[in-house]
Amino acid sequence: MSKIVAVEDLKTWFPIKGGFFQRTTGYVKAVDGVSFNVHRGETLGLVGESGSGKTTVARSILRLVRPTGGKVYFQDIDVTAAKRRELRETRTKMQIIFQDPYASLDPRQTVNSMLTEAMEIHKVVSSHAEAHGKALQLLETVGLSEEHLYRFPHEFSGGQRQRIAVARALAVEPKFLILDEPTSFLDVSVQAAVLNLLKKLQARLDLTYLFITHNLAVVHHMSDRVAVMYLGKIVELGEKEAVFRNHKHPYTFHLMAAIPVPDPEIKKKEVLLTGDVPSPVNIPPGCRFSPRCPWATKRCSIEEPPLYEVDGQLAACHYDIDFETGKVKSERGLKS
Amino acid sequence: MKSVGVEARTGEWAARWADFRYTLYLLRRNPLVLAGGLIALFFIGLSLSANYIVNPQLATPAGYPDFEGNYPFVRSYSWNEGHLINWGPGIRLYDGPEFFYLGTDGWGRDLLTMIILAIPVDIENAVIITVAAAAFGTLLGAFAGYVGGVVDEAVLRITDIFLAFPGLVLALVFAAMFGRSIPTLRLAILLVWWPPYVRLMRGQILSEKEKTYVEALRALGAGHLRILFRHIIPNAIYPILVQATLDFGGVVLTFSALMFLGFSPTPSLPELGNLAADGYQHIFEAPWLIVFPGLVMLLIALAFNLVGDGLRDVLDPRLRR
Amino acid sequence: MTKFSEPKERDVILEVKDLRLEFHTYRGNVKALNGVNLKLYKKEVLGLVGESGCGKSVTALTIIDLLPENAEILGGQILLTGENLLKKSKDEIRTIRAKRVATVFQDPMTFLNPVLTVETQLQETFTLDKEGLKQAVEFQSTKGKNITYLDFLSLEEQSSRKSDDKKVSRGEIKRIVKALCIDVLRLVKLADPERILSQYPFELSGGMRQRAMIAMALARRPAFFIADEITTALDVTVQAQILHLLRELKDKIGSTTLMITHDLAVAAEIADRIAVMYGGHVVEATETREIFRSPLHPYTILLMRAIPNVTRLVESLETIPGTVPDMIDPPPGCPFHPRCPYGMVKCVEKFPGTTHFDGGHEVACYLYGD
Repeated sequence: MSKIVAVEDLKTWFPIKGGFFQRTTGYVKAVDGVSFNVHRGETLGLVGESGSGKTTVARSILRLVRPTGGKVYFQDIDVTAAKRRELRETRTKMQIIFQDPYASLDPRQTVNSMLTEAMEIHKVVSSHAEAHGKALQLLETVGLSEEHLYRFPHEFSGGQRQRIAVARALAVEPKFLILDEPTSFLDVSVQAAVLNLLKKLQARLDLTYLFITHNLAVVHHMSDRVAVMYLGKIVELGEKEAVFRNHKHPYTFHLMAAIPVPDPEIKKKEVLLTGDVPSPVNIPPGCRFSPRCPWATKRCSIEEPPLYEVDGQLAACHYDIDFETGKVKSERGLKS
Repeated sequence: MKSVGVEARTGEWAARWADFRYTLYLLRRNPLVLAGGLIALFFIGLSLSANYIVNPQLATPAGYPDFEGNYPFVRSYSWNEGHLINWGPGIRLYDGPEFFYLGTDGWGRDLLTMIILAIPVDIENAVIITVAAAAFGTLLGAFAGYVGGVVDEAVLRITDIFLAFPGLVLALVFAAMFGRSIPTLRLAILLVWWPPYVRLMRGQILSEKEKTYVEALRALGAGHLRILFRHIIPNAIYPILVQATLDFGGVVLTFSALMFLGFSPTPSLPELGNLAADGYQHIFEAPWLIVFPGLVMLLIALAFNLVGDGLRDVLDPRLRR
Repeated sequence: MTKFSEPKERDVILEVKDLRLEFHTYRGNVKALNGVNLKLYKKEVLGLVGESGCGKSVTALTIIDLLPENAEILGGQILLTGENLLKKSKDEIRTIRAKRVATVFQDPMTFLNPVLTVETQLQETFTLDKEGLKQAVEFQSTKGKNITYLDFLSLEEQSSRKSDDKKVSRGEIKRIVKALCIDVLRLVKLADPERILSQYPFELSGGMRQRAMIAMALARRPAFFIADEITTALDVTVQAQILHLLRELKDKIGSTTLMITHDLAVAAEIADRIAVMYGGHVVEATETREIFRSPLHPYTILLMRAIPNVTRLVESLETIPGTVPDMIDPPPGCPFHPRCPYGMVKCVEKFPGTTHFDGGHEVACYLYGD
């Protein structure tokens, strides 16, 4: 399978300015060394809680924020180092749907204006009539109709606005779409419709998705492979079922255990994490998860685990743990 | 094919027109705003038609066709027939048939006519100054806010300097250097009037810049100019509109004040402050000279203030819909 | 259907009967509530579930009288232990709101005062209850030990007799309040309560703030709590912690909660009974197990199929055709009929009455009765 997007050791740090002369007193290491590939036609799910850096990864890939280090490749073009013209071209190939449908559309623009503007910027069409025709087509693709063309965003519901956002993104004919929590603000029934639409479009238009969310049920429905992020790094990456049923990292285990299941018959063992989700300003030494990990040892707080390859998955944990029983089976990466 | 394009554009305009009508509806609902709006419209209408209602020739002081700036030695005031007040070495009595609704001024001109002629002068000034100050300040503030960094700091410091200028002193200096004329006075007021707009716009830009739709536009590949002028500024302009409307009254008062203090190019210029200047020494003898121009000034300022307040409530995007 | 002991009528703390409410807006009247019927029993958690626009939050706001100005109550009753809240004056409502119902909202950042420390805000809440504090002082002097929050709770039951008019010193009250603050923070599992007391809301994380809000709600010793989407803004691991806390509180102090959420999964985790709302009506209500085992109302059935479930993998999620109704011009009769696969002619004419089954399962649908 060909890679459409390759991320290599991506780092995005935000400087914290303080002091009298606005010196940089520290960094918020939102993304601190993330590497993964997205293969053509697949959906890679990226999950994590607040502070994990998943949203920053999305913005770094599109260069909406300037990465501090590492590289991002789109079909062999180095996006991180691209000059203005190249960047503009890549912008047509990679698009993003944002989380908040109420904020991602300019409230003073009609739907028509939004769609035609996208086309105008990239000179996709050559006349007003052509633009109009394409706009109607786009609306139809996302399940809206001509009567919606001249309305303002506030006249639409959340689900409809997300559809408009999708239409706008599709106007430039992208190949890779980053979906940043596209359904978190939507009602359940609307969410289902939007997710179905996204799946349908993926098949029809040969799109590749990077699906970012904190909702594990949704990512389970949409993705082929899943990556779990914690405090700026990927802690587990693998095929969907493997990550969900046969996870190797303690954080993934706790995450899965915390999902509320809409079925009271299924008795879950109560597994709770202590403490709160930490912030990327003070990253603990060694393994980032060690302060909250029930299996943490001394080694964990000294040596940061790399992504070990285990059974076709990647997991950043020094230990092989049987989560059913809670027993540690073996240790990894020991230098003998 | 042409019809399709036209249809698209009409559809767009129809949508914006409906939006505008909603704004008008909201404005109509508040009785104070409605009153202010009607008064403001009345004055604007008056200023546009003043020259057709009264004869502008009447502004020339009778008997002084080539007036050069010397105050007449003798003046007479009257309120209707029979009343007279005089001072100075001569006495003049008015015994003609005309009825002056608001009395006469020092040159015997009908005060009502003068006020009607004065309104366009003031309103025109206010419009020019407000629009120019707002436009300049807005652009500068938008630029500073969007670009940020050193440019932002520089603009802010320059703005602070201008903010610290005392308007009156500046007007004095200008008058001394360039003579007393309307354009120089306008310039003087303009120079101290634009700084607040810079601050206002900059603040708006700073907050709009961070919004998601701006990010979405950047992701779409929109350039900075397009984002700034087509998207951010239209969304950020509301406080500017409100401020400009409120300022309108302020400019009228400021300009009149300057006239009142003697900056008028000619003492007989029909201008509200100038008309009032005539009368402040004679408050007890001819109170109408101060009262009526003052009342008109008050009404103009009040009307625009009310409209501005109403606009503020109505245009706040959070309170709409 | 399973039988479980029919809750006795006298155990009902709150009953909403045929509540109707409209909002007057520029575009027309939004008919937000169209005859809502609810029963909240003592010591249970009732999950009020529905999507946006169904009226669940509005129902809660009506109970505590926090409606915006353009709201108009058209009819119905809200009975709090028998008394109709809608017939009370503004002052009486305020007292009731202060003493009998405590609400915890979704976003603690906007509902906690950012310029006051946690201690000040908690103190304020305790200090409002002057009668209770007087009794607490008495309690402490008679029992001779330091009062805990649980003791404080139990004072309510004995409150029928008037306390003596003996003067109590400010210092004593202060000490008791401080002790209660620390104890209640401990109850909500906030580690190091003394330190938390001196902090400002922005210094706490989302989960901690939510716990602080719950502590403030507890401080009022209300008859019942209203929790309005309290976990929606939280990360999933933090959400799990808060739900666990709520379960514990229910066991420990026997609290009664009206839990409003759009997330059926969350309701499944914590509610004893669930009521499903749609278009300003309650369309189905029963025990949690029951509603998942055999949902009756078509909306409930379709809703459950639309939720992605980790334990069940499907190719595409079932959607409910159509959209949530426009409440300015809602469909006549049953608001769900345009989207309902079982729609009948009757459904357009009039909203169905509630059919009661054995075991407390109620549903409003012509499929089951009139």
